[in-house]
This record gives sequence, structure tokens and C-alpha cells, in this order.
Amino acid sequence: MKIENKEVGRYLVVKILEPRMGADRAASFKDEMCKLIDQGHMAFVLDLSEVNFIDSTGLGAILSILKRVGKSGDIIVTGTSDTVGSMFKLTRMDRVFQMFPTVDEALAARV
Amino acid sequence: MKAMILAAGKGTRVRPITYTLPKPMIPLIRKPVMELLIEHLHRHGIKDIAINTSHLAPLIENYFRDGERFGVRIAYSFEGALVDGEVQGVAVGSAGGMRKIQDFSGFFDETFVVLCGDALVDVDLGRVLQFHKEKKALATIVLRDVPREQVTKYGVVELHPDGRVLRFQEKPSIQEAVSTVINTGIYMFEPRIFDFIPSGQEFDIGGQLFPALVAANEALYGVVEPFNWLDIGSIPDFWEGTRLLLEKQLPGFELPGQEVRPGIHTGINLRVPWGSVNIQGPVYIGSGTEIGAGATLIGPSVVGSGCVLQEGATVRECILGDYTRVSSAAVLERKIISGGKCIDPNGKYLDINESQIGWIVDDARKQMQLTAAEAELWEQVMDQVTA
Repeated sequence: MKIENKEVGRYLVVKILEPRMGADRAASFKDEMCKLIDQGHMAFVLDLSEVNFIDSTGLGAILSILKRVGKSGDIIVTGTSDTVGSMFKLTRMDRVFQMFPTVDEALAARV
Repeated sequence: MKAMILAAGKGTRVRPITYTLPKPMIPLIRKPVMELLIEHLHRHGIKDIAINTSHLAPLIENYFRDGERFGVRIAYSFEGALVDGEVQGVAVGSAGGMRKIQDFSGFFDETFVVLCGDALVDVDLGRVLQFHKEKKALATIVLRDVPREQVTKYGVVELHPDGRVLRFQEKPSIQEAVSTVINTGIYMFEPRIFDFIPSGQEFDIGGQLFPALVAANEALYGVVEPFNWLDIGSIPDFWEGTRLLLEKQLPGFELPGQEVRPGIHTGINLRVPWGSVNIQGPVYIGSGTEIGAGATLIGPSVVGSGCVLQEGATVRECILGDYTRVSSAAVLERKIISGGKCIDPNGKYLDINESQIGWIVDDARKQMQLTAAEAELWEQVMDQVTA
């Protein structure tokens, strides 16, 4: 799973560079994220602006990362397209995650 | 007086609904638009109706058959060919469709009405006929006055004070528009109109016939009538139209079924634990539908027949086609579910199979089978939400 990350304050902004977050990519996404958590990062802004497809495994992967960072951590989801955003709303995931249109807006809200 | 209903179009602006339903068969609450149209024609004493069909023709022809059930007599003019079991449309245009019927049998032997099959109208055709006769018109267009902000969607018509059509403007800007009266796609013609429609080629009423009449200085008139008009030419129009009907804002339109509670109309054979569901009207719930305890249904909404709303499901301002199942994990807000698609009011949509959201919303007749990932996601999301 190709990602690009950069630190902004206490947050690590993780941008997913692949268009599909399906069953085949979900596992490697989890692996990448776990590596980052092991390095000590607990607060993430996920940038999904390059993603145009996500299914249950993809959503489940993001949810499992939320569970891993626990109450002291944070995961904010940003940049969802109409279709991906729809998936979050249909499955109530928009009530589980804070969501913002852009990374900048997410970071501004947390400062 | 005879009539023709134009029902051969592909309905491209109402996709994806029109992938599986021809536009005139799109139901407004429960009745296809064209049925409401035929009822209207019947009320005006019109008995003989020609209907041109092409796209998904059998869905129209098998429903209306010879029209006897509706008190009329229908003849279909099928435009296209069956190739390897598939209907291939042959475009002849709206005026071309009229000409095809006239060439076939000379059907239009007196003043006749032509309507588009995709709008609900209750215009007083008697008054239109009176105007048409007084003016000795060759063709009369029924026009409607709309708020200036809306002219950009329509064909605007400029009239001489005596009612003659001076010119047309297709979808003008608000500033450019020369008037606020628009072409409603309802026309009255004399048989002499066929002198202006060539045989065997594509010919359109608005784009070609009318300009030809204006250029030839023929008696083309427009009459502005106040009437109720529900245009369902696009997904947003269909969405707004349905809401209008549910909110009882179209005079003369009766909601089907029985009002079992204020604002809640239903069919029969329902399984609804009224004490333990949260249902707020205006809603219509179709026959044979099951709603589980703890489910939420907020109007304006239409739930088709044979639907299932599982325990705890949330449906808010939706139009659900027949046999839709909404699972407990789902939150459906402002969606149209039709033909295997989950459609937003702006027309964007997801294919349920391709997006793999069958575990959220799907056909109620399918056995529900969650993959391990879906079951886990469901559990986790419900944990987090109720925590």
C-alpha cells in the first residue's frame, strides 16, 4: 500500500496514494499503519483524496487502526470523494470518525 | 379528439433509473407517470391514443395492453428492431414518430393532442381546444409561466400579444430570456401539420418542425394556461416531484392506500410493531413490507412493496423501490434505491453489487450473506456507536 506521510505538530498526516481500498490492499494498509504506531505515532490525519473505492474490508481496516490507537490516540478522516463519503455515511462510520473535507481544515480544527 | 403520447425516449437524464425502467413507467409514489397521464386524457373524453415506444417497450406495452382497463384504446408504434433478442432503438424523433403513424394508417384525421410521456399534467385540454379553434391554429403549444430563475432549464417562447409564436430560446440565461413562458411539451395539431413533416427521416417537433412553421409564417400559436405540472425529466426533478406529492402540495393528487396514522399511508399486509418503531410522516409504506423493532423511518419517504427494514435500521427521506432490504447496520439518508443502484438526489449513484454494499441495502429476495469482513465491521461499528 503506497502511502506518503508528514508530521504536522502531534499529528502524522498519512496520504493513501492508491485509488482502491479493497480486500487486497486493506491488509497492507494495516501493516503500514501498525509500523507507524510502533514508531510512536498515535494521532493521524488520513488523507483519502486519491481513493475512489472502499469496501467493508477497507473500512474495517481503518476501524481496526482506531481501536489500536485507543482513547489516547486520534484518527481523523479527510478528503473523501462522493462515493467514498457515501460509504462512510451508509455504514455509520461517519459517527465513529471525525471527518473533514481537507487536511488543512482537520488540522485547523485540532489546534 | 385523439392523442399521441411520446414514450420512445431513452431517458438519459434520469439514469440510472431508466436503465431498467422507461421514463413514462417511473412511478410517482405507486402509479407510473403515464398512467396518471392516461387518466387525465380519459377525463377529457379522449379515447384513442397512439403511443410510440422503443426503449424497454415491453414494460410499457405489457402494463397498458390495449388500454381497456383504463377506459381508452391504445395503439403502439414500435420504433426499432429486435436484434438477437435486444431492442435496438431507431431514432425517428418526436415529429418523425408522429409521421410514422400517419403514414401507416392516417390515424390523425382530426385535431389531435401530442404529449410527452414524462410529466404529470392536469391542463384543461378543453380550454386549449377552444383557443386553438378560435385562432384557427395549425399548431398550438401549451405554455406555462414559471419564475424567472427557472427559465434556464427550459425552452422559452416569445409570443405576440395575439398569441402567435414569434420565436424560441433554448435554455437561455436569466438575463437573455425574452419571457418567462416555457414550452411544456404539450401540443395541439391539425392534420395539415404533416405537410411540414418529412417521411423516413429523423425530425424533431421543437428543434425542426416549429422553426419551419415560424419561417413559413404558418399559424403557430402559444396558449398560457395555469396548471399543475410535475416534470420528471431528471433525477433531481423526480426527487423533488415525489416530495411534493408526499407533502400533498399537488392539488388533485390523492396519496394511495389508507392513512393508518396521521401522515402515514400504507398498503395492506404489513408487519410493523407500531409501538416500537419511530415512523414520522409523510410516508407511504407499500404492501407486504416488514419493519423491525427499533427501526426509524422519517418522511418524506416512499417505501415500496415487499420491503424489509431490519431492526434498528435508519431510513430518512428516501425513495425505496419494491423489495428493498435495509439492514440493521444501515443509515440511509436522502437516497433513491432502484434497480440495484443507490442514487443521490443529484443523480450520482453507486452500483450496489460493484460497491459491495449489499450488506447495507439490497434486494429483499436475496438471501443475506455477510462476508466475515462485513460481519466484523457491522459488529465493530455498532459497538463504537452504542459505546
